[in-house]
Amino acid sequence: MSHTPFILAAYLISAVVLFWAAMAPVINKRSLLRQLKARQARMDKSQ
Amino acid sequence: MNPVFLFFHKTGSPPWFYKYSGKLIPWLWAIFLVLTVYGLYLGLVVAPADYQQGESVRIMYLHVPSAWMSMMIYGLMAIMGFIALVWRIRIMEVLVISSAPVGAAFTMIALITGSLWGRPTWGTYWVWDARLTSELVLLFLYFGVIALYNAFDEPRKAARAASLMSIVGAINLPIIYFSVEWWNTLHQGSSMGSDGPGIHPSMLLPLLLMATATKFFYGANLLSRARLTLLKQDHRKRWVQDLLSKESH
Repeated sequence: MSHTPFILAAYLISAVVLFWAAMAPVINKRSLLRQLKARQARMDKSQ
Repeated sequence: MNPVFLFFHKTGSPPWFYKYSGKLIPWLWAIFLVLTVYGLYLGLVVAPADYQQGESVRIMYLHVPSAWMSMMIYGLMAIMGFIALVWRIRIMEVLVISSAPVGAAFTMIALITGSLWGRPTWGTYWVWDARLTSELVLLFLYFGVIALYNAFDEPRKAARAASLMSIVGAINLPIIYFSVEWWNTLHQGSSMGSDGPGIHPSMLLPLLLMATATKFFYGANLLSRARLTLLKQDHRKRWVQDLLSKESH
């Protein structure tokens, strides 16, 4: 039995999981900052 | 004020934590990348195949550091949860809840890579043996902490409940660690026993490099998540408003 597919799958899945874990806070922060800035701009306009 | 209390008071302040953790994160990522590239080079190119397991032993360089991290992060969560509950240090609550997704990610990697390693060596992807089952329970504990935190509307109450669950769940850690000694399991015993490592230095070095790299991954990811949680919780507070104003100009 060739071990290559198991090794490749292990490294690929780990890379995907770690990449997702690393990127999730970055994406969420960008989205949150965009929302907060838009809200602040609306508040500044209304004043 | 006592210097120790002063230190905790200062580092526990959200604006201070946000500012300085932001400076630390790129360095942690850089060290993680350097260690990972070198560790993978040694593990995948330089280190020999195992005389019994063949090439499949290369999964060890992912599986073992991830399994160590899965336990270490939960242990840290329990300690931070204890500090958060006893001394009411808010930043500790934030660190507990920010650690849970990182710990869950490492536990998932440990389970998946273990399963993929098990097929060529044991002939099966999964057995309900003590080590594998207790590690699966750890994954559910991480999910439980995350779900419990999200079940509350009030963030501080939610973080305290999650901290308490982290402390209670820590009972699973010695069960995972000693499972290979207490029960007759398919999983092998510890590679790093009290009488020294049971593996050749050519395999030990990449293993230790990858284990160190995962610590830096945890550090960088934890701080990124903690900064996000602070922004979410404090978005109406003055320091966040000032931060937004600074970024807009």
